Amino acid sequence: MLCEKCGKNNATTHIKSVVNGVVSEKNLCGYCAAKEGYSGLAHNSLAGMLASMFGDVTGFAPSVAAKKCSVCGASFSDIAESGRVGCSECYKAFYEELLPYLKRVHGGTKHAGRVPNKAPLMVKPKEITVDDLRLKLNELVREEKFEEAAVIRDKIKEMEEKGNE
Amino acid sequence: MSNWYSENRENIVVSTRIRLARNLSGLPFPSRMTAEQFSELNEKVKEAIFESNTPFAKSMSFIYMDSVPEIEKYSMVERHIISPEFAANSKGRAIVISEDESVSIMIGEEDHLRIQVILGGMGLEEAYDIAERLDYLLCDRLNVAFDSELGFLTGCPTNLGTGLRASVMLHLPMLENSGEISSLADSVGKIGFTVRGMYGEGSKATASFYQVSNQITLGISEKNAIDNLKLIAMQLIEKENKARETLNKLKTEDMCFRALGTLQNARLISGNEMMKLLSGIKLGADMGIIKVKESPIKLFIEGQPYMLMRKFGEMGPDERDIYRANMIRETLN
Ligand SMILES: [Zn+2]
Ligand SMILES: [Zn+2]
Repeated sequence: MLCEKCGKNNATTHIKSVVNGVVSEKNLCGYCAAKEGYSGLAHNSLAGMLASMFGDVTGFAPSVAAKKCSVCGASFSDIAESGRVGCSECYKAFYEELLPYLKRVHGGTKHAGRVPNKAPLMVKPKEITVDDLRLKLNELVREEKFEEAAVIRDKIKEMEEKGNE
Repeated sequence: MSNWYSENRENIVVSTRIRLARNLSGLPFPSRMTAEQFSELNEKVKEAIFESNTPFAKSMSFIYMDSVPEIEKYSMVERHIISPEFAANSKGRAIVISEDESVSIMIGEEDHLRIQVILGGMGLEEAYDIAERLDYLLCDRLNVAFDSELGFLTGCPTNLGTGLRASVMLHLPMLENSGEISSLADSVGKIGFTVRGMYGEGSKATASFYQVSNQITLGISEKNAIDNLKLIAMQLIEKENKARETLNKLKTEDMCFRALGTLQNARLISGNEMMKLLSGIKLGADMGIIKVKESPIKLFIEGQPYMLMRKFGEMGPDERDIYRANMIRETLN
């Protein structure tokens, strides 16, 4: 079968799409497929998966919709629509949002392969421990911010009770 | 100099490929990079490799894609050296490549670096070893984006973790004929592997050649991914061999000699006809039914449109059918 776009090369990319219940198929050569933006099934399926989980990728909660990667400026809808992140820092900025998809795509969410001799980026938000809160409490007391300190003290109490259960 | 396709291997496994996706921290990923950032990336990689002074570096060339003519570029796609995406978006990009083209690094494809090793036949461990050595060299000299939770950070989240895509190309005419390949592809898909046609994206195979590769890269080690892929490939090979045992010898012989007869005598051959006939001949040669003078895979690759134009000059599809028929006739007679 020849590519339906250029008519010169063999069609090697076959794209099925469903629009309003009607199935249409495009048969393109690799070059035309790339020019038309069909670069690899992986992105399409990721973008599709993101869309199917969220319904409409533009309909995020306002806090997510407004968030942008501080390094490259990508928003989560940019990532969801293209299936690609903008830079390595995006993984830090959108870690929570991406986690459910990573679980779906890979099953796991924790790297199990080779580790280079480099300082890691640390994308996962650090969990706040009771010790962290105690430090914060001391600091607030020192600064005589007693109202805020009371909130932290309650939180410590709550965490300690949970820990003792 | 021998490429992955030039040697005659009477084997269901045509080739093995290892690809590692790597990025540098401090630069956006290629989809968001400026022209200046691409040249910055090129120079960084060039320096890292060639100032390492390793024997490896001495065997590699650094090529700016802007200096590569269109025909050569697309013929590299046909030789499986670069992706069609890279050929179509190669402005300002570069490639590092070994003399026999078995080792290469696409710079600025979907990721900053795509390390690739491609070998003829089954050679997953060997290919991974080479890729890993090159990866060590690069990771030691460049600031590669890595996170202890998510592993190597990649442009597409589907490659996170090891960034490893391992694949083997299998010739499965009998499984294709019986239709068994689609149900096998489905079940392989459920355990995190894909089976697709020869040139990558589509689901339909070209002349019974199927590429089997791992999909999962996060939460699995390189070794496990490769071991599992090998296991799956072995099962597909066993099934294909079993199916071959049931073939009617005379009918198969007839099919092979008809294919050979056409290729030895035709004056016009389209790409599709060539691939179909060579697939039949490969089956006969691998089963010891016929002898051929040249590797069917080599003819298959050399008969692709841009490969022909690389050798004989730019021409249209009708003229290519003539040159293709001539080339094959001269080789097989
Ligand atoms: Zn085309
Ligand atoms: Zn970013």
